[in-house]
Amino acid sequence: MSKRRVAIIGVGITPFRARYLDKTYFELAYDATNLALDDTNKNGAQITHKDLESTVYGIYNELFERQFMPDIFINSYLGMNNKPGTRIASGGATGGYTVRMAYSEVASGLSDLCLCIGVEKCNDCYDEKTGTTTPEVLNAIAYSADMTYEYPMGMMAASSYVSMVNAHYEEFGNPTEEQMAYVSIKNHGNAKLNPKAQSPMDVTVEDVMYSRIICYPFKMLDCCLYSEASAALILASEQKVKELGIEKPIWITGVAAANTDCFIGNRESVGRLYSNIYAAKAAYKMAGLDYNKIKEQIDVAELHDAFSGQEVISYEELGFVPFGEGGPWIEKSFEKPGEGPWIDGELPCCPSGGLIGCGHAVGATGIMSTGEAALQLRQEAGKHQVKTIEKGRAIAHSIGGPGAAYAAVIVIANEEGLNKP
Amino acid sequence: MNEQNFQSHEIRDRIVIQYKYTMGGQSKFFLELMNNKKILGTKCKKCGKVWMPPRINCSECFADTDWVEMPHTGIIKVSTIVWYTTSAFIQSVPYGIAFIQLDKADTGMLQGIFSENLVPSKVKKGQRVKAVFKKKEDREGKMTDFFFVPEDEYDSWIAKPQYEGGS
Repeated sequence: MSKRRVAIIGVGITPFRARYLDKTYFELAYDATNLALDDTNKNGAQITHKDLESTVYGIYNELFERQFMPDIFINSYLGMNNKPGTRIASGGATGGYTVRMAYSEVASGLSDLCLCIGVEKCNDCYDEKTGTTTPEVLNAIAYSADMTYEYPMGMMAASSYVSMVNAHYEEFGNPTEEQMAYVSIKNHGNAKLNPKAQSPMDVTVEDVMYSRIICYPFKMLDCCLYSEASAALILASEQKVKELGIEKPIWITGVAAANTDCFIGNRESVGRLYSNIYAAKAAYKMAGLDYNKIKEQIDVAELHDAFSGQEVISYEELGFVPFGEGGPWIEKSFEKPGEGPWIDGELPCCPSGGLIGCGHAVGATGIMSTGEAALQLRQEAGKHQVKTIEKGRAIAHSIGGPGAAYAAVIVIANEEGLNKP
Repeated sequence: MNEQNFQSHEIRDRIVIQYKYTMGGQSKFFLELMNNKKILGTKCKKCGKVWMPPRINCSECFADTDWVEMPHTGIIKVSTIVWYTTSAFIQSVPYGIAFIQLDKADTGMLQGIFSENLVPSKVKKGQRVKAVFKKKEDREGKMTDFFFVPEDEYDSWIAKPQYEGGS
């Protein structure tokens, strides 16, 4: 059985917020699903949740939701009873892995209409002792580290990612703290154009450098905030796209993921996010694109910028620039239209604001990124729409897990992008 | 539903599970650490790769490994100093953690890096370090039974009443 073509026909993203006091995780999932159905139907199609044949749920952390197997409770709330629903949990990369699995549902012929939905609601965690939320959220995440050898050392997400960034700096002399600060400027700034973003802000290099130290050399403004949100995509087979008269289907042309060694100390080089490299190469190959020319082959990239320095390394590992040139690429292109990863640059990265600008609602994040990239290719992203969509192709990137062990890369194309070289 | 004057209701709750967790095939590592201040790695019978932390099977060859006693010295591959962290560790900031490759090991392990002067330059890549152990009565057969210090600080750390050097 050969693969069937799969399109994104609906995108629904709730606002990313520090906390929803008026919604539970399943109520948020309902909102995103409703938005995705509305988006699908806006040109005359008339599908309801009853037409969706299966669901793939991206939910990272049971401790956030205070509910093990949260997917089955969403399944009930969405009225999806007696249909297949599968949960994906792959750390920060949960969203990308969920898109990959939902793609497989449709490409394989198991479903013609599949709901791909991610949700996370982390900020119900609360530390009574300090009277604060974030340290308890971080503790819920820290249980994702190896419990025997790593958790007892006080390992957490930031100290895990910073290890690769520091080792990369030792090897290549970048990213410097200033170069990382430019990512913060870019993504907080892009978020000002995105009404759904949690952290729109004007920041300067100095603001970043003097923000609170988290773990050397990451400062507060280098790090994304944990967020609450849901994001949903409706994926359809080619036949359904025709049947429903979808005007701007966005085709998924490449999906790939790679799990690298979760023990950073086992890796050949500590300063690499190998998962990025393997996932990107495989996704581009599936889409018929070239790792060495990818920057010229796509219009926009929604990257997983959990931490500023890790976005810089990702420029290199996703093939945008050679190794060691990520830091200079963003620094030297500051305020130079047509250059670098800025929203008016040669390859806009995270025009939505990414995680640093929007917030990180873990299971929802990679689905938001994929949805945002699809809206860009439809030229319907709103104020943060990039100026030129000429190649008709975009990528969405997810990374996560202990030592950033999981990565997924999704390549999408509009009708024109399918055939352009 | 759009309620005016919405009022949320929050409940207090916690999830607690207790364990008596077996370290399985790695048990010997923790027993030797606790009882004899030994740091054991494993060596693949087939390819000779030395795993640290130890694995009783080589993940590359799918072969068994043998226990090998490791030196207590090594180098820092990469480190960071943590200033803001999880609720479980927030009382301990700032603290240093590092991936340390013991001499004769082929892999690096995460461990605490302690220093009288905990600044990035003191715990950077290439720094030689040596293991310091908690006193016998405080060792529990956990990774927190030991930590590393820069080699030039070793004597002052093992002179402290709560710590001791290895054999």
